[in-house]
Amino acid sequence: MESLFRNSLGPTAWIILGLIPPAIFALYFLKLKRQPLEVPSTYLWHRVIEDLHVNSLWQRLRKSLLMFLQLLVVGLAILAVLRPGWQGESLQGEQFIFLVDNSASMSATDGENGRSRLDEAKARVSALVDQMESDMSAMIISFAEQPNVVQEFTNNRRQLHEALARIEPSAAQTDLTGALRLADGFANPGRVTIEDENAEYEVTEQRNIQLYILSDGRFAGVEDFSLGNLQPLFLPIGSLSAENVAITAFNTRQNEERPELRQAFVQLANFSTEDHSVVVELYLNDQLLDAAEVQVPAEAVASTTFNLLREAEGELRATIDPGNDFKDELGIDNTAYAVLENQRDSRVLLVTPGNNSLEAALTTDRAKRLAKVEKITPAELEGNAYQRESQTEYYDLIIFDQCVPKSMPQANTLFIGTMPPSDDWTKANDSESVVGPQIIDWQRSHALLSLLELGGIQIADANIVRPPLGGRVLVDSTDGPLVAIAPRDHYEDVAIGFEIIGKNAAGESTFNTDWPRKHSFPGFWLNVLDHFAGGSDDSQLANRPEKMVELKLSPTEENVEVILPDGSRQNVAVDDTGRLGFQDTEQLGVYDVLVGGRRAKQFAVNLFDRPESDVALRVRQEGEDSLNTVESLEIGYVDVAAQPAQTEIRREMWKPLLLLALFVLLLEWYIYNRRVYI
Amino acid sequence: MTRKIFRGRMKGERRSKRKGQSVEFADFRNYVAGDDLRQLDWNLYARLDKLILKLFLEEEDLHFYALIDASLSMDFGDPTKLEYAKQLAAALAFVGLIRADRVRIETIDQPVSQRNPVYRGRASAWRMLQQVGAIEPQGGTQLATGVKNFCMRNPGRGIVVLISDLMDKEGYESALKYFLSHEMDCFVIQVLSQAEIEPDVKGDLRLVDCEDEDEAEITVSAPLLRKYHETLNTFCSGAQQFCAKRGMHYLLANNQVPVEELVAKHLRRRGLVR
Repeated sequence: MESLFRNSLGPTAWIILGLIPPAIFALYFLKLKRQPLEVPSTYLWHRVIEDLHVNSLWQRLRKSLLMFLQLLVVGLAILAVLRPGWQGESLQGEQFIFLVDNSASMSATDGENGRSRLDEAKARVSALVDQMESDMSAMIISFAEQPNVVQEFTNNRRQLHEALARIEPSAAQTDLTGALRLADGFANPGRVTIEDENAEYEVTEQRNIQLYILSDGRFAGVEDFSLGNLQPLFLPIGSLSAENVAITAFNTRQNEERPELRQAFVQLANFSTEDHSVVVELYLNDQLLDAAEVQVPAEAVASTTFNLLREAEGELRATIDPGNDFKDELGIDNTAYAVLENQRDSRVLLVTPGNNSLEAALTTDRAKRLAKVEKITPAELEGNAYQRESQTEYYDLIIFDQCVPKSMPQANTLFIGTMPPSDDWTKANDSESVVGPQIIDWQRSHALLSLLELGGIQIADANIVRPPLGGRVLVDSTDGPLVAIAPRDHYEDVAIGFEIIGKNAAGESTFNTDWPRKHSFPGFWLNVLDHFAGGSDDSQLANRPEKMVELKLSPTEENVEVILPDGSRQNVAVDDTGRLGFQDTEQLGVYDVLVGGRRAKQFAVNLFDRPESDVALRVRQEGEDSLNTVESLEIGYVDVAAQPAQTEIRREMWKPLLLLALFVLLLEWYIYNRRVYI
Repeated sequence: MTRKIFRGRMKGERRSKRKGQSVEFADFRNYVAGDDLRQLDWNLYARLDKLILKLFLEEEDLHFYALIDASLSMDFGDPTKLEYAKQLAAALAFVGLIRADRVRIETIDQPVSQRNPVYRGRASAWRMLQQVGAIEPQGGTQLATGVKNFCMRNPGRGIVVLISDLMDKEGYESALKYFLSHEMDCFVIQVLSQAEIEPDVKGDLRLVDCEDEDEAEITVSAPLLRKYHETLNTFCSGAQQFCAKRGMHYLLANNQVPVEELVAKHLRRRGLVR
């Protein structure tokens, strides 16, 4: 009662007000202001009155429309004085920006009546838009991986509602920064200051803009951002207890123990507080291959592998069934896709006059699984076979040991003891040779040098290697760079400045370095094979939604078309080198790339995003009182607290009630004057 | 002045049921001793050798009564209903005088003992008019008592024209029945003012009866007026049916219709005036 009405009168005023309706009632019946009129006889009138039963109470009430209207006016006035209202949200300010999160986690269905979080957020914004006054304007930005201005500033509520309806759920990650920067562009226009003598005046009108962020907050705080005129309000959407089981990884790889087999690896994550057993089903081209039940501990991950035949080819799909006893709130992370192509061995060509240690390092069991290494002598560089294959991208990597080809091949290259025969490289290196350089630093983060320890390697003599523009030094010595890498078109060239096996003056082979005796030697060559050749087919499994997918096709002038998972088709352009960059990857699933109408490649796009799959709202940890509150957002140095589900604002309706009373009064006046009824 | 044939007391211009002296043949009958020999049909005696009397219709005068309701309720309208009634009564009485009928004009509120003079002959027209002109409105409408007193004052047969608004709260039926019991040829002329037929009233009113000061509170509305018209129509048609069933003549007169027109047109059609 207290929340519905708010008393605004004292007891005396109430007593007086309360007396008005009975007074009207009494006056209406007791009103003696009837004009006396002498008539010849009341004989007929009495009969008329008796017929109409005008004197009966019911008849009077029924006919007394005017009295009812007067009582209604007073009733409405009393109701208006009682100030009926309800708790609701209200807009404070003049301009608003609504940031609506439509990332993958917003598809969680923990809203009211199984509504998705996005629908909840849209309903919330819709309610706020409804409260906009005519002098207010708002804009709507949806954001996931990329921000999208759905509606620019307008005070047209219909347009805002229509724009709101256009927001679709996506499978992308949440990135608030882009949306904030976009909002910032609208909110904080470039400031113009005018200097007048010593004083500075700001010319641009600075207006505070209320920024509503509607999100489930599955993202890290935004650093290095100044809110300026933006006044943020974080309206968290979703529940604190939402549960979800997701596939967080799905790929195929060669079976380590049985190279003739391949394996599908499925990783599951349980984002709830109870253990659950999940059935994982694996489909190849929509045919069930295998299924397994996996026990996933609470707030932990579990995985399972399925064996596949080497020849298997097609679309691979893994789905999980969380079971009926588990309320899985997010459905889009219950399916993962992979493309299984008939595996092709990576080809590596070793051109060497003879190098046992190198050959041994490239033909270990592990190296064999990564690539098939062929060997030719430098003399064979002149042969037709090499000429043909080196220009048709037949090889993934060509290693030139103590030799140099006449021209750079269409492949990745690695030169040992020599420089690539390219102007870029030769100009940078004036055959500057040094003796006994000591390795002092190397790029541990580079894929070629990962997990390697290069310190303490003895080198007799070496050439200093300076990479051309865009290149990168990998190994640095006391005398200068020893190993460098540089891009060339879409290939990479590596130059190692020192030979592994040199020749003395007598033409005999001598060891130029003791590197082959170190642990890092086979490791380096495995890294080389892995980086340039190994596992290239399976490497595309981790394409993310709304991120560009790069594919390498043979250069073609034919029409290239991509079929999206929903069956729609898009024509795309391929650059001269056959590279295809495809941006429109919003949908999860397998994309087919057609060249000239025939399928050339396939790639899969998966969610695989733990923050997005962890759908429960984050609970603020510190503080005993705030155990059940949602964690705040950090934007720059501002801590934006999560707003409660309903902002405690009272909406009152005394104005419409008074207007209604005025209308009834006019109606009463009209009826009285026109005597339309009484 | 009437289609019925009544006995008169004196010879008049009106044909009587009685056989008597006139030039109009009525019947034959056998001679009875004592009959007036002058009326024997000697031609028949010569032919049949029987004494047969030739009978002639007697011509008599007629009793015409005009009974005016002079209650206070009649003093309304423009002209007032009483004025209208007086004009009407005078007009009819004048016709009666001209036709050598016995004419008497009385009002409802007269006591039994007060008998108004009887006029006969054109020469008494002036006196008659004087009497009519002197009638003033007074008292309440008591039709039954008034008619009863009238009948007691005038026991003979005749034609009576009752001019009244019939607005008697006791009802008009018992009053009219007195006329029937006295075998009077009765004409009922109900006079209503325009204000009664189409009341021009508005707002909240307290209607006061001019006779007994009875009050009726009304709030004028379209349904109320509609109901009033229905009630008035029912009342008038009820009176008409009552009269029609009992061989009386009924006429509704609006005070806006000129008396001459009423007499010359409507009453002639009804046979009251020929």
